[in-house]
Amino acid sequence: MPPILSLMVFLPLLGAVAIAAAPADRPTWPRWIAAATTAVVLGLAVWMFATIEPGGGVQFVERYPWIPLANIEYHLGVDGLSVLLVVLAALLSFLAVLASWRIDKRPRFYFSMILLLAVGTNGVFMALDFVLFYVFWELVLVPMYFLIAVWGGERRSYAAVKFFLYTMLGAVIMLVGILALYLHPLGGTFDMLELADRGFPVQFQWWVFLAFFLGFAVKVPVWPLHTWLPDAHVEAPTAASALLAGILLKMGTYGFMRIALPILPEAWAQWRWFIALLAVISIVYGALVAFAQKDLKKLVAYSSVSHMGFAMLGIAAGTAVGLNGAQAVNISHGFLSAMLFLSVGMVYERAHTRQIAEISGLATKMPVLAGLFAFASFASLGLPGLSGFVGEFLSLLGSWDSTLAPGYTIVAAIGVLLGAAYMLWMVQRVILGEVAPSIAEAPDASPREIATLLPLATLSLAMGVWWLWTLQHFNAYSTGLAKILGG
Amino acid sequence: MTWLLAIPGLPAACFLVFLVSSRRIRERLLPLPAVCSFITLGLSVTALARVWPGGAEEPVWRGVLPFAPLGDHTLELSMALDPVAAAMLIVVTLIAACVQVYSLGYMHRDERKGWYFGVLSLFTSAMLVLVLSDTLLLTFMAWELMGLCSYLLIGFWFEMEAPRKASMKAFLTTKVGDMGFLLALFMIWSTVGSFEYRAVLESLGEWPAAAAAMAGFGLVFAAMGKSAQMPLHVWLPDAMAGPTPASALIHAATMVAAGIYVVARMLPLLALTPWVMEFVLAIGVATALMGGVLACVQHDVKKVLAYSTISQLGFMFIALGAGNAEVALFHLVTHAFFKSLLFLGAGVIIHAAHTQDMRLMGGLGRHMPITAGTFTVGTFALAGLFPFSGFFSKDEIIAVLVHHDHWYAAALALTASFLTAFYVNRLLFRVFSGPEQGELHEGHPSMLASLVVLAGITCVLGFASPTFAEFLGGEGVWPELGVALPSLAVAGAGLVTGWWIYGRRGVVVNTRIYKERFARLYGVLDQRLHFDTFYRQMIVEPFAIVASALATIDRTAIDGVVNGAIGFWKRAAVVAWSFDDAAVDGLVNGLAKIDVSATRLLDDFDNGFVDGIVAGVGHVVTAASAVRRVHTGNVRTYLIGLVSATAVLVWVLTR
Repeated sequence: MPPILSLMVFLPLLGAVAIAAAPADRPTWPRWIAAATTAVVLGLAVWMFATIEPGGGVQFVERYPWIPLANIEYHLGVDGLSVLLVVLAALLSFLAVLASWRIDKRPRFYFSMILLLAVGTNGVFMALDFVLFYVFWELVLVPMYFLIAVWGGERRSYAAVKFFLYTMLGAVIMLVGILALYLHPLGGTFDMLELADRGFPVQFQWWVFLAFFLGFAVKVPVWPLHTWLPDAHVEAPTAASALLAGILLKMGTYGFMRIALPILPEAWAQWRWFIALLAVISIVYGALVAFAQKDLKKLVAYSSVSHMGFAMLGIAAGTAVGLNGAQAVNISHGFLSAMLFLSVGMVYERAHTRQIAEISGLATKMPVLAGLFAFASFASLGLPGLSGFVGEFLSLLGSWDSTLAPGYTIVAAIGVLLGAAYMLWMVQRVILGEVAPSIAEAPDASPREIATLLPLATLSLAMGVWWLWTLQHFNAYSTGLAKILGG
Repeated sequence: MTWLLAIPGLPAACFLVFLVSSRRIRERLLPLPAVCSFITLGLSVTALARVWPGGAEEPVWRGVLPFAPLGDHTLELSMALDPVAAAMLIVVTLIAACVQVYSLGYMHRDERKGWYFGVLSLFTSAMLVLVLSDTLLLTFMAWELMGLCSYLLIGFWFEMEAPRKASMKAFLTTKVGDMGFLLALFMIWSTVGSFEYRAVLESLGEWPAAAAAMAGFGLVFAAMGKSAQMPLHVWLPDAMAGPTPASALIHAATMVAAGIYVVARMLPLLALTPWVMEFVLAIGVATALMGGVLACVQHDVKKVLAYSTISQLGFMFIALGAGNAEVALFHLVTHAFFKSLLFLGAGVIIHAAHTQDMRLMGGLGRHMPITAGTFTVGTFALAGLFPFSGFFSKDEIIAVLVHHDHWYAAALALTASFLTAFYVNRLLFRVFSGPEQGELHEGHPSMLASLVVLAGITCVLGFASPTFAEFLGGEGVWPELGVALPSLAVAGAGLVTGWWIYGRRGVVVNTRIYKERFARLYGVLDQRLHFDTFYRQMIVEPFAIVASALATIDRTAIDGVVNGAIGFWKRAAVVAWSFDDAAVDGLVNGLAKIDVSATRLLDDFDNGFVDGIVAGVGHVVTAASAVRRVHTGNVRTYLIGLVSATAVLVWVLTR
């Protein structure tokens, strides 16, 4: 068996080096190299997905000693929790390259950053050793910082620093948690799987959980740690926004399910009401604030805060159903937020504005683009038959059927209604209506743009119609974790 | 009998074909949905034959699909064919076929008609899934999908303001009701651990009272949204902004009946809680009356019909509240046929008169005999006149009320009947008699054919009333004179009153004197009893205010903390940077020669910070001269610096 996972991690690095070494007078080489590399990685990911045995535990394991002195290993593997995230990361990297085809400002730097980001996002979901995990986690930060700071909008420097500051701070606190686990007499290893359910003392768990919580919650982001997100999204270039919302946010919820919950189940039991509370606030607050936005991209950004709240609610529920829901939100939001941001980017390229008041009538002027945009909007407001519903419904069902107070679920369900409100309000103003002057001359989606959006729409439909397709992977992990959590 | 899957499958396939085709191909394929709907009608008739003579408890066919593993459970999707489903299949496919054929004539001038036919097919498919569904989860999914189709069709002419607003209002109002559906699903899942209809109905003995009440109420609330019961009815009159044939299928015959259909299937669960049943009855009575009253003051033909739909749905709720699902379903069936007939007739009228305002119409009867004749059949069925179908089904509802001693409800239902007969005659006289307005032509043959078919059904369907009840496993009875005569008398009185005011003089009458005499009352009625004003002032506007207030707080209060922190960080970074720069340079040159001042760095913070990271990593392992090259900002240097720094760092650590 070839080392697929390592290939997926290091091929983009090779690509980045190749781009850096490419001659400066060939501006189209970087994007072709990036497209080829991410396409190969995507192919590997699909092959891995096709051959993985659902519910068969950790597979494709690669394990070598790395720093024997501290018992640090190079340990990669995928299971039901991570397999779809890895596929998602590979897919979105490829689509991000496609969406960036027209980047002409320092293309070598740009595409090498996209590839470097892929190294981090692929690796972070495969790493089963804490040190390796932390390296990938931090590695994600650097290219994203550059993508925002160099290719961003007017306030890019502010947004980039804010993003960096926030997530760096979260990561450092998380590092403290990792070291605490390692240094504790019951710990002594960086192996993430081995540390599960070791029976650490509750008091110790409580503090370590707090550290992990802060690290992950910033990434999700959970209210009130979310304010870096709208700025980063609004300033970031389109592809970076899609990657940020589609993949980077999932690192937080993944961290909860991979690390915080299985290793510190008793602390989770003490913290969960607080997580549920913040989740519900995020859902309702995100939806309300999204409703009031005048900038299209900000609206989508706040919708992420709201939607990721459902994943957090599923995590707070801790039942198999709720954890399935949280994982389904992860994947579905990966498809849909990327699709929304890419659509907004395409609209912006045509209208040269993101002000909702200045755009209308997309459906008349560009029916294909408008149709795909509307598809993403309806999918993310939770229309059954599309992916958004799966996660939302299972998270709510899981939290209702758990030991959490029913009030959380009821308020969160009202969030579903609010979600429909801001999405429809956006559709009504932007997609429908009379053609605004800003898009009067604009063409419909090009084949390349359709090729960027259509795979995401197809996957969202497939996931929404055929739940088994994704849930057969999620469920084994969720069931095991729910047993550890006693739910 | 897997071929049953083709019944919802064919229209869904039509939709997919239309979705991916270009406009030119769609134009060529326009008859495809109509052909498909005839095939599904044929299949539905075959399905009915398999179920015949009905009466059995067990479904004749059941298909199960493992859908999702949830913990140790497996969620299944299932469909079943039982008598209720078989009867509804016929209703839906028959009306869908009529509407598809009719639309070929009605929509042929519209530019985007391909999309119209596609969505109509998708709707049909979703409705058929709902009919066949044997699990509440699948029902809910189809239910929501119908909501989407309704949204798309109401807002079909989305360049215009009114359809756009109406479509959003419809979607959100029914979505409010859907919260009730979610609540019911949650209660059912945590009590039974399954969404199967039969599993739920077989476990009724074990339900705790509170859970049963919540689940029952949730379903009723959902039905109130979908079936436009007061106070969630506000979306239905506005929904008339969509194309008229779509209103006939969705907002009159089928989708709005979905709430009734689901509640009828789950009625034993509701019956566990007496107050839920009383609530259903009360809502039904209030809705029937309100719809009747408001239909009397509408000027738009379609709005009269919309309020009459609300009123008739109220009658179905009354039957459910009285505990008789078969009677509710029979009224659903008869209403579906005569109301779609009325809407399709209204479409022909609107095409001919070029207006929807009755005050601008008149004298249509002489030039459009087929339309006038079939329309009159529909209105008489609506008014409950013998021998039309509406008489039998409405009579059964009153009879149920009388037998269960709901005297108040019976009296109020009869009042609603009176109002129905009154506005029916108002409608007939205003449209068909009086002086002619402009040139009038009879409708296209494809449109008239549908009218004739539906009118024929309306004439004979009533006599199937006992057979229908027995087919569903109930008790078939013919109307009793003791109930039928008073109800006919009331309808007659209503018709006479309508004639007295609107038809007696054979001209368009002036009702201004009544409006002036009862100005305050008329004002309230004209404002649709102020439901919309109330919602706007109490919900929509406060909602927008809260939303923008929160958005402001988000930018100021919450973000203010962060900005303060960033300001601090900036200053710290600049200090550290100048120190670093000075120290490195000092090492290399042996002289403190700071090439960039701290103030310039503050202005040029971005570049400074970017370089800072690279430099910070780089100067650990590379010579100070290399760091200075990094400052040039060359991309390759950045990358090589970064990668080599990481590599060296790793090497140092692993050594």
